Amino acid sequence: MRHAHRVFIYIGLAIMCVVSLLPIYWMVVSSIRPEAEIFSSTFRPIPSTVTLEHYVKLIQRTNFRYWLWNSVFTTVASTALALLVSTMAGFAFSRYRFVGKNVLFLIVLASVSIPEFVTIVPVFGMMSRMGLVDTYASLILPFGANALGIFLMRQYMEGIPEEVFESGRIDGCSEWRLYWNIMLPVIKPAVGATGIFIFLGSWNRYMWPLVMTRSDTMFVLPVGLATLKSDFIVQYGQLMAGATLSVVPIMLAFLFFQKQFVQGLTAGAVKG
Amino acid sequence: MNLIQKFFSHKTRRRAAPYLFLLPFIVLFTTFWAGPIISSMYLSLTRWNGLRPPQFIGFENYARLFSDPVFQKALQNTLIGAVVYDVLLVLMALALALVLHLPFLRWKSFFRGVSILPVTMSLAVVAFVFQLIYSAQGGLLNQLLGLVGAPPRNWLGDPNIALGSIIGLRLWRAVGYYAIILLAGLQNIPEELSEAAWIDGANWFQTTWHVTIPLLRPVLAFVIVTSTIWALQLFDEPWLLTQGGPLDATKTVVIYLYQNSFRFLTLGYGAAISYILTLVIIAISVIQLRLTMTRD
Repeated sequence: MRHAHRVFIYIGLAIMCVVSLLPIYWMVVSSIRPEAEIFSSTFRPIPSTVTLEHYVKLIQRTNFRYWLWNSVFTTVASTALALLVSTMAGFAFSRYRFVGKNVLFLIVLASVSIPEFVTIVPVFGMMSRMGLVDTYASLILPFGANALGIFLMRQYMEGIPEEVFESGRIDGCSEWRLYWNIMLPVIKPAVGATGIFIFLGSWNRYMWPLVMTRSDTMFVLPVGLATLKSDFIVQYGQLMAGATLSVVPIMLAFLFFQKQFVQGLTAGAVKG
Repeated sequence: MNLIQKFFSHKTRRRAAPYLFLLPFIVLFTTFWAGPIISSMYLSLTRWNGLRPPQFIGFENYARLFSDPVFQKALQNTLIGAVVYDVLLVLMALALALVLHLPFLRWKSFFRGVSILPVTMSLAVVAFVFQLIYSAQGGLLNQLLGLVGAPPRNWLGDPNIALGSIIGLRLWRAVGYYAIILLAGLQNIPEELSEAAWIDGANWFQTTWHVTIPLLRPVLAFVIVTSTIWALQLFDEPWLLTQGGPLDATKTVVIYLYQNSFRFLTLGYGAAISYILTLVIIAISVIQLRLTMTRD
């Protein structure tokens, strides 16, 4: 391609970078500038003074530390549960022949895209009968059954040669040990990629925890931060401080594990 | 005897194993997904305020959908939003993916990283940030328009452009992500094919149009189906930014069913709405499944 074309392509990519990064920059810069400067009639990309008051207020006056902990705990727990359930089910589908296999797998396939909103009312009713509204259980247990996770795990596991397991069987391994000591170590990278996919879905979830939790100390980050907005005066500085704090861990993890992230995010697309 | 017993028990264990491995999934799936879907179907045939027992009314809720102007407005917003979003998304993501795939390009992993960064932010956080950007009084977008002398606009308060603003922020978050998926598809295409076209004298555009894009079709189909399924479930951003307003301009089907279920306490009607939308979504994913299957 000619030199002029290349220049245009780099200009286009530079514009793409500005458009992608400007809102993120704006979030961070709004969290460290005085409240009075957040809205302005002229474009002022550099704050006149840098202040951490929004962060201090956010941590002192709101339940932010609870929201952060709730998000971390429910996300880690539901990802771990979903991975355990998915790898076990994927192992069953990829390594055994049994009555009902095809029907069960069709059910898994059909439920990959069942939306949360169609089950939320009955599940809410069930949770309130069991006294589980406003508990971690209501945020974790329903997401243990992850159809896409099972589908992906089965796909990866089918690619592992059967000989590996035959020798394990001859050595007298139990079925559980074939799964835990032989299969899991072999497909660790795939489990990691799928885990990132499930983790992000859980970290970002909003409607489900909005319905299932009641008290301020049980909110997850998106729900808790939204309460800063629903008062009469919106605390934009604190809102941006909270937004920044909720995004930073994910973005740092992304920078360190970019390859795994991209694998995780594209897992369903190319391997599917 | 002992040997036979051992063999037998081993065989039994091996027969039971798949069911035991599937047990956690079956228990969780039945309790939290299959069961609730069936009871949701029943609820959609009832009148229920969540307090007194549901009252069976047949298909009345479904009949009501056809004469409910708010539902029709919500459906219209959702469908128009999904189509506009999809078309722009695919064009922009494809363009970005093709550029990122150019052989001479430098700093590839940097550009890839920047493209995918927005999708690591949750929808709710993106909504909070864009509230600042779209604000009519001194928001970033109006500040930038001021730089080129354009008049400010009320991005979220003007019913004519509010839905467009919501689509804009969704595109901001999603284009890079889908571009990376398409890029992964491009990288799976054997290079010999496009090289053969090059040798035959085709230019970049001809090669892309006649060789690359047809081979990319399965991944494109995946992108279109996935983004459509998510677009039909639009809730977080319009709920957080406009609560469906102004004048229902950003009210989506999911916002309306959320309001029916948790605000107006017309849970039976809410269930009927959710059922219709779920059937649409499942139909689309069955199509996807067939496309994926024929691909293999």
